[in-house]
Amino acid sequence: MPGSNPTANQNTKQKQNFASGVKPIWCPGCGDFSVEAALMKAVQEIGIEKERVVIVSGIGCSSAMPHPFSTYGIHSLHGRLLPVAAGVKLANDDLIVIGTGGDGDGYGIGVGHLIHNARRNIDLTYIVMNNEIYGLTTGQASPTSLIGAKTKSTPFGSIETPENPTAIAISAGATYVARAFSGDPMHMAELIKGGILHKGFSIIDVFSPCVTFNNLNTYDWFRQRVYKLETSGHDPSDKSKAMERSFEAEQTDWAKIPIGLFYKAEKQTYSQLDITLQQGPLVNQKFPTKQQALEIMEEYR
Amino acid sequence: MASVSVRIVGANGDGVESSGALLIKVATRNGLNVFGYRGYQSIIRGGHVWYQIRISDSKLYSHGEGIDILIALNQDSITYQKSHLNPNAIVIYDPSKIKVDELDATKFRLVKLPMLDIAIEVSGDPIMRNTVAIGAALKFIGIDISVFNEVIKSMFGRKGEKVVESNIKAASRGYDSEGVSMVFNIKGDGKQRYALDGNTALSIGAYASGCKFYAAYPMTPASSILHWFAAHENKGVMPKQTEDEIAAINMTIGAASAGARAMCGTSGGGFSLMVEGLGLAGMLETPIVVVESQRTGPSTGLPTKTEQADLLFVMHASQGEFPRIVVAPRSIEESFKIASEAFNLADRYQCPVLIMMDLYLSEHIESIDGFDFDSITIDRGKIVTQKTDEGRFKRYLITEDGISPRSFPGARGLEFIAGSDEHNEYGDLISDAFAGIDSSIEIRNKMHEKRMRKMDTMLKNESIFVPHIENENADYFLVTFGSTTIPAREAVEILKSKGLNFGIISFNYILPLDKEKTKAMLHGKRMINVEANFTGQLAKVIMMNTGIEIKESILKYDGEAFTGESIASEALKIVKK
Repeated sequence: MPGSNPTANQNTKQKQNFASGVKPIWCPGCGDFSVEAALMKAVQEIGIEKERVVIVSGIGCSSAMPHPFSTYGIHSLHGRLLPVAAGVKLANDDLIVIGTGGDGDGYGIGVGHLIHNARRNIDLTYIVMNNEIYGLTTGQASPTSLIGAKTKSTPFGSIETPENPTAIAISAGATYVARAFSGDPMHMAELIKGGILHKGFSIIDVFSPCVTFNNLNTYDWFRQRVYKLETSGHDPSDKSKAMERSFEAEQTDWAKIPIGLFYKAEKQTYSQLDITLQQGPLVNQKFPTKQQALEIMEEYR
Repeated sequence: MASVSVRIVGANGDGVESSGALLIKVATRNGLNVFGYRGYQSIIRGGHVWYQIRISDSKLYSHGEGIDILIALNQDSITYQKSHLNPNAIVIYDPSKIKVDELDATKFRLVKLPMLDIAIEVSGDPIMRNTVAIGAALKFIGIDISVFNEVIKSMFGRKGEKVVESNIKAASRGYDSEGVSMVFNIKGDGKQRYALDGNTALSIGAYASGCKFYAAYPMTPASSILHWFAAHENKGVMPKQTEDEIAAINMTIGAASAGARAMCGTSGGGFSLMVEGLGLAGMLETPIVVVESQRTGPSTGLPTKTEQADLLFVMHASQGEFPRIVVAPRSIEESFKIASEAFNLADRYQCPVLIMMDLYLSEHIESIDGFDFDSITIDRGKIVTQKTDEGRFKRYLITEDGISPRSFPGARGLEFIAGSDEHNEYGDLISDAFAGIDSSIEIRNKMHEKRMRKMDTMLKNESIFVPHIENENADYFLVTFGSTTIPAREAVEILKSKGLNFGIISFNYILPLDKEKTKAMLHGKRMINVEANFTGQLAKVIMMNTGIEIKESILKYDGEAFTGESIASEALKIVKK
């Protein structure tokens, strides 16, 4: 049925080609290639019809993400991918809407939209390629740059506390909060798949190293520090524990950085609660008849 | 034509607005015409608020210059409104609360009405005092009390018999009070009319033409559009209050991209935030409708007062160039009509359509005979739903008319990526790896020319991009856009009574403009430009398009609405110069 949400076993036999053949713009070695591979694997394995997938991005290196895909996509404005994506989803609840962008885009200029769309629990999957730097503008500090990070805009070291994306998402009301690392694309693919299958606002913060402008947070740097929540006895249904894990990196001075599923909760989505959408997707709803319009006019007599 | 202007004055919280709404309902039920306008401030309790309701046996074009009946609910009502009283005005006041020493009893009819005592006596509720005053006003106007009783029954029937009864009692006590008598005797034609404001008319027009999604952040004077959509959420429309206007326009673009007819609305401040999104709609060629209801600027300005100073801003907002349509409705009826047309235009030309309202048009209430729902047609433009040929879908196909086929997510084989970067026919970017190489330069030119060609196409295919002339053979013409056209119509009548033959040249569709036709229409005419701003923005647009300079202007930027009288007296001065 075209109006159903995806399930893991649907159409798995019939693999569709989600690749458009368009080459992304990324530097050789960029973490975003792993994200592309992981997302490609996730959508293929879930087996969604590709015409039902809309990938919405902002502006930045990582926002080139929709182009290698042969799905629908919108490459929108810097920081505004979430409202665009939310608009698509609210208008047509049958679609699988995936947001892709970077840390400057989503945690800097667009952070307000993260909070509010998490709060709305709109059924979106938001992948943030977090490289702790502004890449496309050639290397300025980002909202997740660590204190002391020397960048073009902070040559003497950043003095601002880095944002804590998972903690922000959990407290704002996101119902699926995960973190992945480009050094482990298979693990990432599972987390993305989980996010797409989850009904509600899902965010996957991905450590996606910038090999050109970030000499601090490299693949090696992450490899020495990350560990998986799945193998450490973490219970993702426990919100307080999820918050504790979110602060672990900061509290251990970045010695221990958890990746995996921090938090997951079953909660009614925006579409499930919205009055209008009880009549089906907005795009399928009929235009009013003259009689219906005249009934409304009676309010003004 | 006979008319009477009733002004109800008090503080916020005194029930001024609801009393005004009641009077409007009673008058329209009685087959009368009404025109209502509120004066209020950015304050929730206190302040000095008024609601002027002009009632007439003929169609009205402004709320009237002065006050014929003042319902004074506090002392300030006398102090601040006495200069607005017409000769022989009736002043209804409660002697237990208000002193009228400052009024000359020989010039005005001062009517002592113990509103509060009567209210307590009939209902025990002091709030009923306004109803007592309304009852008295009805007698002065010449509206039979039985009409009031019927309205109360239909309005408050749900609230129970007691509420209905005490309202009826309170009003009839006012109606029959000592010193209250029929003065104006304005008679209706028995035709029941609708009474609504511009934002309501616009909302109904959008609804009737299939607008399914409306996103907004609260901002006066656009908020009532959001309220309308919220109140009708169970009628198949989705209101979305967003975190800011940036989200509002971007969500609207998302919803429109998915195939819904979508609109967002705000005032100038919020529109400033929407500007980047407007450019996105232009580049993605996404049809959206944006409402900009102007208020007095700059910055926060006078949030509850009117102005028309955002015209040039809206016409030119955003970096770069892209097709857009800018239209300013010239009446309540036209707010409906233009809202319903806007979605067809947006869909046909795949561009943003901007509707310029202002506080005066958004909020003033008029009685109308109805809207022409039969005139509504739906044209979704070049939409493809089925794949017909091999190869990738060219969403941005270069065409002669500049309009490319559009598909919606869900349609198999018609997938594409819409890009805010410059792109080729498929939507692939040419901005990153290939910008500046010869083939990309060619694509950029072709794509930009394709988009811009839509302006030529709309000018060629639509007959709407011209001004409108009323009284073609006049000696002088008032030149207006949008809401100012309403009081200008009254001004023409006033000037006529003074022996001057005036006409109106009014603009609704302002961008694009058919230069040749406009030039021909304006050529050789003696014109006075009438606008609610300081710089004469419409005159600049006319100059830019036709080379014709309108030398005389009536400009107003005090935040108050034009009235026919105020335009006529200024026009008279200019003509006599």
